[in-house]
Amino acid sequence: MNSATLSKTRTDKQSNLGGRINPERVKALFPIFRNNELTRNLSYLDNAATSQKPEVVMQAMDDAMRLFHSPVNRGFYPLAEQTTTRYEQARERLKSFIGAETDTSVIFTASATDSINQVAQGFLLARLKPGQNVWVTRMEHHSNYLPWQDVCEKSGANLRIIELNSAGELDLDRHLDIFSDTTAMIALTQTSNVLGTTNDVGAICKQAKQMHIPVLIDAAQAVVSNTINVQQLGCDFLVFSAHKMFAPTGIGLLYIAPDRLDQVQPVRLGGGMVDFAADHIADTTWSEAPHRFEAGSPNLVGAVGFAAACDFVESLGQANIKTHIGELASSLYQQLSHYPNLHLVSPAKHLSSGIVSFYHDVIHAHDLAQIMGDSGVAVRAGHHCAQPLLKHLGVSSTLRISISVYNTNDDIRAVVNALEYAEKVFA
Amino acid sequence: MSDSQLYKAQLLDHFKKPRNKVVGELSTMQIVKRGSNPRCGDDIEVGFSLTGNIIHSIQFRGRGCSVCIASASMMTESTKGQSAEYVKSIAAQMQRWIAGEDVNIPDMLLPLEAVRRHPARKKCVMLAWHALVEGMDECNV
Ligand SMILES: Cc1ncc(COP(=O)(O)O)c(C=O)c1O
Repeated sequence: MNSATLSKTRTDKQSNLGGRINPERVKALFPIFRNNELTRNLSYLDNAATSQKPEVVMQAMDDAMRLFHSPVNRGFYPLAEQTTTRYEQARERLKSFIGAETDTSVIFTASATDSINQVAQGFLLARLKPGQNVWVTRMEHHSNYLPWQDVCEKSGANLRIIELNSAGELDLDRHLDIFSDTTAMIALTQTSNVLGTTNDVGAICKQAKQMHIPVLIDAAQAVVSNTINVQQLGCDFLVFSAHKMFAPTGIGLLYIAPDRLDQVQPVRLGGGMVDFAADHIADTTWSEAPHRFEAGSPNLVGAVGFAAACDFVESLGQANIKTHIGELASSLYQQLSHYPNLHLVSPAKHLSSGIVSFYHDVIHAHDLAQIMGDSGVAVRAGHHCAQPLLKHLGVSSTLRISISVYNTNDDIRAVVNALEYAEKVFA
Repeated sequence: MSDSQLYKAQLLDHFKKPRNKVVGELSTMQIVKRGSNPRCGDDIEVGFSLTGNIIHSIQFRGRGCSVCIASASMMTESTKGQSAEYVKSIAAQMQRWIAGEDVNIPDMLLPLEAVRRHPARKKCVMLAWHALVEGMDECNV
């Protein structure tokens, strides 16, 4: 039995899932909620920042260190061969998780941020010409904004922004030249980490394909509650981080479509990615993909945890997760809409992302977050690394509640109670 | 509520009724300095006028969280009528006190005590003080 099937069996047995999410049972799979004074009664609602980790993911990582740890792709003894197999099995698992054609397209990176930087530097920079347009959206996280801004400024190209309409959705009709031969690249998020808006990335890929425009999709906020299929989407690049989907920090995914692989130059150079190291870089030959994009000793433990998290997410079912977090988000939205001083910025139509953002007329988001924190409710306050969006909204910070598989109605009640209390303190 | 001690009555009083806070420009002040923290959206201006080396008037304006506004308000009260040397030494003491060191600061600033246990909010406290010190450095007092 390989590690993937092993951990899958464990999840199924422990939670008996397959239909609706039972958050109490799911919560029991996350040791943090019982191991720690600070977390035992915590309403953890900062899941868009990072998720908690289930036992199965930790167990898989623990196994990787206890049972089969040795160098990846570098040894000729049985243990090293086993380690390499485990690492490549993790890649296979990610490949099926995103529906990729081949495992050469599945590249382990340090994070979503790292993946995007590699595409901006290794793919776009060399082909970008002065006067061309690179399109991003108003709702991008800084990680899907700054790398493009940087290559545009270095190349004399223009960073263009797809604006939002009053419904908090992309206003594609406003920009007639997106799908034209002036566009060198489109990079957009599938789900906004502030608004929760989910974009129709498939439709955008389809239109872009007709013009041969490469598209990068930032799926960091989407992977937990949407089944990703890169072939159906027809995207050129897709990225996400493991740590927002119940796996550890320090590892992320970069999918590069097969026909783009040879158009991307490795940005990270070092061990494991070169076939022939010549006297000059010009004569140096890179290894086959995906290895040429994974310089240095691979993150075995992270990859194994990442693969176990794919099993975990699929054992719950993305559709079931979406229903669960959407229902709690709707309930919260409903209750918050009764507070006259409170302004919801998340579109009601997009609550299935589990994200509810708002600001208060009287209480600064940091004060509100602090009071919630003191009441055992963990939320995020600030600009959420999306300053261009916050500027558009005309606010300097918002409070964000982001819901996950282990959140319950009690957590929603705790938010509302803390808000009541904060309004009293600041009355 | 375990630690809402942060929001002590005196702190909230300064936030709700800030002293020496103006709405318009600080146009009557000799020196005006801005302090902003884009990470949390605190954005204030501190203005003051000197007679010799005495701060004879001091005001601020802007927006921020309760800790930022209350700290700016307390700062204006504790520095008005004081000499530049004294104010600079208090600012330096404040910096150390907020960092957790055991130093004396004027009683008027003590309601900020709880902030010392909240690392994320220390910048909010010091924003107004940094602007003031920057202004004093600029005019060489
Ligand atoms: C939409 C989106 N994209 C990208 C990122 C960056 O992820 P990481 O910091 O793990 O690289 C985040 C993280 O907050 C995000 O929310």
